[in-house]
Amino acid sequence: MNRIHFLGLGLLLAWSVPLAAQEGGQASFREKTLHAVAPGEWSGARLADGQPDVQGHWSNTIGNHNDFTGTANSPSRVTDPPDGQVPFQEWARAKAEDFAAHLENPIRPEYVEPFARCAPGGPTKSLMWHGFEIRQYPGYVLFLFDSGTRLIPLGDAAPLPETVKTWNGDSRGHWEGNTLHVSVHNHNAKARLGRSGEFVSADAAIEESYSFEEGGEYFLYRATYTDPSVLTRPMTVSVPVKRITFETAPDGWNNITFPVSFADASHAPDIEVWERTCVENNADHGQVAVPD
Amino acid sequence: MLILKRFDFPFAARGLAGLWLSAGLLLSGSAVAELPRTVTGQPDFSGIWQTLSGADHGLEAHGTRHDAPPGPGVADGPLPYQEWAVQQRERNFAQRAALDPAGQCFSLGTPRGVYYPEPFQIFQRERDLTLLFQRGFRARTIHTNDSLHPEGPIGFWFGDSRAHWEGDTLVVDVVDFTDQTWLDAAGDFHSEDLHVTERWQLLDENTLQYQATLEDPNVYTRPWSLSVQLHRIREPGFQLVENACYTLDYDRYYPVPDAP
Repeated sequence: MNRIHFLGLGLLLAWSVPLAAQEGGQASFREKTLHAVAPGEWSGARLADGQPDVQGHWSNTIGNHNDFTGTANSPSRVTDPPDGQVPFQEWARAKAEDFAAHLENPIRPEYVEPFARCAPGGPTKSLMWHGFEIRQYPGYVLFLFDSGTRLIPLGDAAPLPETVKTWNGDSRGHWEGNTLHVSVHNHNAKARLGRSGEFVSADAAIEESYSFEEGGEYFLYRATYTDPSVLTRPMTVSVPVKRITFETAPDGWNNITFPVSFADASHAPDIEVWERTCVENNADHGQVAVPD
Repeated sequence: MLILKRFDFPFAARGLAGLWLSAGLLLSGSAVAELPRTVTGQPDFSGIWQTLSGADHGLEAHGTRHDAPPGPGVADGPLPYQEWAVQQRERNFAQRAALDPAGQCFSLGTPRGVYYPEPFQIFQRERDLTLLFQRGFRARTIHTNDSLHPEGPIGFWFGDSRAHWEGDTLVVDVVDFTDQTWLDAAGDFHSEDLHVTERWQLLDENTLQYQATLEDPNVYTRPWSLSVQLHRIREPGFQLVENACYTLDYDRYYPVPDAP
């Protein structure tokens, strides 16, 4: 009856099921290669304020937050360096490996992944979990995730003072053709990039691009992380994303939509997502697994 | 006042209808003509809003307390609790510091999110309005596309909101609630059978009149209403800031690793 209970259960499972058992997403969305979309012109539909109209429901197509650097079935989300590995400084690699080694046996509170407590997933990881929704308004692009909401104002207004840090950061975006470019400021860097523990510092510069394909079936997310305090060189992460439509089969993970009912049976079919809450229904982790 | 309903017009003509409607009202000299409107002619509620009513301290008239200033109340009288519910409300009030779900940064619910003392932003499309509450950075969707409530009971924290326009007033029908939210910081409460009818209307470009009628046969003896005004925040450069307050109790466990 009630998906809010399912969502809490999903978080619990995501934390407790061995990684190998849940690599990749659901079958209907699982692709083994990265669907590339190049930046370029946009000839598709536009909104009244001129933005390309990219609204709707979307989901990643490769793996999920369990396999950030790839498996036999899912290429690494790290597309630069070419070897698919995070260009960690040695001390930082050791920190990430320590986190990963304790993920399934969190003997201290800091080993419980923040995401399992319903913390927002951060700029990149949010796209590698459940499907999500994009809504657009004059001057804004709004991302609605099952764990967190991200508002991207368009334009060049100054971001918040550096002393203010948030999980998803303070973003500023602008459109160039088919591509939304976003600079991410003020992120607290507490959200790991993957459940395998990869991280950057709060000083990391994050430059994102979202390139939307003609026809609207795919977009390609890229984020370049520049962080001299943690990385030996800049790193680019790529997440291919596919549109969810009324015809897409719901699978409880990538596609969490349901068909909408209308009194007028001739109304065009449509889909929605149920209320996005998390911590309210995540008693085992978000509310209880905090000592003292 | 000239009132045109949006479904009086074929889709392709709505943009022109909105312009024509605005022009007609301007010519009539009505103050209503100055309301901001969308390209399809509806009043445009877009913006960042917050009430000054103090409603969240207590919907009923109340004297001063250690945790709240006094206030004349925003309800149309004492809340008409059933006898058992009066006692429950008293227990809630006595333990409000520990029990108020807002203190855990849970979703505020409906109508509380609207008058909670923290800003929220309204984003508006023809098919829906999205209310993004700074507290928790939670989104509530009010559907305006002639869709129906999904089959319940469901147990949403904000309820399920389906709305239509009556002239320039947005009328919202909200059902399918959880019973876990409170109506204010004074312990006022409801059950899963809460039914809220909201009426939203712009009084001028910077003031929204908000009224909610609450029915709940499990808790109240009759329907009752509350009313607050919402004011547009106009400070230059003001913006919502992600307030993931539900992370505060564990935030300290996640310092970003430092180099040795």
